[in-house]
Amino acid sequence: MRLLIATVLIALIEVAIVPNDAAAQARYQSSISLSGGSYAASGFGTNGYVGAAYNYLFGGGKYFVEGGLGFGSLKSDVLEQVSKSQIFDNDRLFTYEFLVGIDANPGGPLPYFVAGVAGVNQGGQSRFAGVIGLGKRIPIPGFLGSNQIGFRFDVHDQIYSQTINNGSPFVTHNILATLGLNLFF
Amino acid sequence: MFQFFNKCLKSTSLAVLLFLSAVGYSQDLDTTQDPSGPRRIAGIDLSRGVLFEVSPHTGMMGSSGLFGLRLSMNYSTLNLEIAGEQVIGKTANLYPISVNLNLNLATRGRIIPYGSVGAGLWLTVPTNTIGDKTVTTLGMNFGIGARYYVTRVFGFRIEGKQYITTVTNDRELKDELLFFQEFSVGVTFIFR
Repeated sequence: MRLLIATVLIALIEVAIVPNDAAAQARYQSSISLSGGSYAASGFGTNGYVGAAYNYLFGGGKYFVEGGLGFGSLKSDVLEQVSKSQIFDNDRLFTYEFLVGIDANPGGPLPYFVAGVAGVNQGGQSRFAGVIGLGKRIPIPGFLGSNQIGFRFDVHDQIYSQTINNGSPFVTHNILATLGLNLFF
Repeated sequence: MFQFFNKCLKSTSLAVLLFLSAVGYSQDLDTTQDPSGPRRIAGIDLSRGVLFEVSPHTGMMGSSGLFGLRLSMNYSTLNLEIAGEQVIGKTANLYPISVNLNLNLATRGRIIPYGSVGAGLWLTVPTNTIGDKTVTTLGMNFGIGARYYVTRVFGFRIEGKQYITTVTNDRELKDELLFFQEFSVGVTFIFR
């Protein structure tokens, strides 16, 4: 949880103080990014997460579609040490997302908003999830002699119905917060 | 046996009607007049060579969510496609892999409607049951869809399909015919 809060705070500070150039987003049609951060799984706790995403930008950078995937963990100290139980076959987490986004303010401080669907594979069991979130791509003109590189941050909420040990289904909110490097092309 | 053929006949009649109605169908060209040069067509022109498309998509099959990818080759009215999907169920995941033949009902413009028919393999992989094995069956599908091209290299795609497959009922020792409906939306990237 502290890692999640720290990630979001760093991202907000980054948006506020780093100057950005909207021209980079309007000029390029695609971007790829590598990100790292935290994945807070409801009932399991927060673990590290790494991911990659591809964005196709259109409408002058104001609209985009995104495909992304990521790897994390569902390791839970409470389950391991207190209840000595294991919910899934393993602790591995694999997610893939397909999102559409609107960035009404590409050059400004306001974030973009995304919505879409995701597949969440928890220890070998897959779930179909809805996703809502926000984020920001911040081009850094002149970085390493190029206008194509920038930072990005994202916060997504993956929402799906979870059933454990044949119990009653309940709605789960898993929060994903990442910071990353973005390459426009 | 008669009931089997009757059900197949009813199910395939829609696909036949789509193909018959495509004869002589044309869509009005949406052209942009450029007085200094040749007429440019907004959207896409499928009659100019071979186009390849990559189309990731998502949707629902019954009450289960799905993700998929289609790789297709366009030549004028014909579109040959390989599709693979993952349908996420509660006790098993379904992986339909099919080869489809699509008939584009228009070859120029922003909106390209099409009819589709295909066949392939269905892999049913149990996820949280003990002792069950992966079941592989043959199936066929037909449907309709449309592609909307935002630019000459990117567009959106919407499709509805009817899947038909058989599964062996071990208790009653007979094959059962299963019908599934799928609705999907996605994006498409065009390459020459």
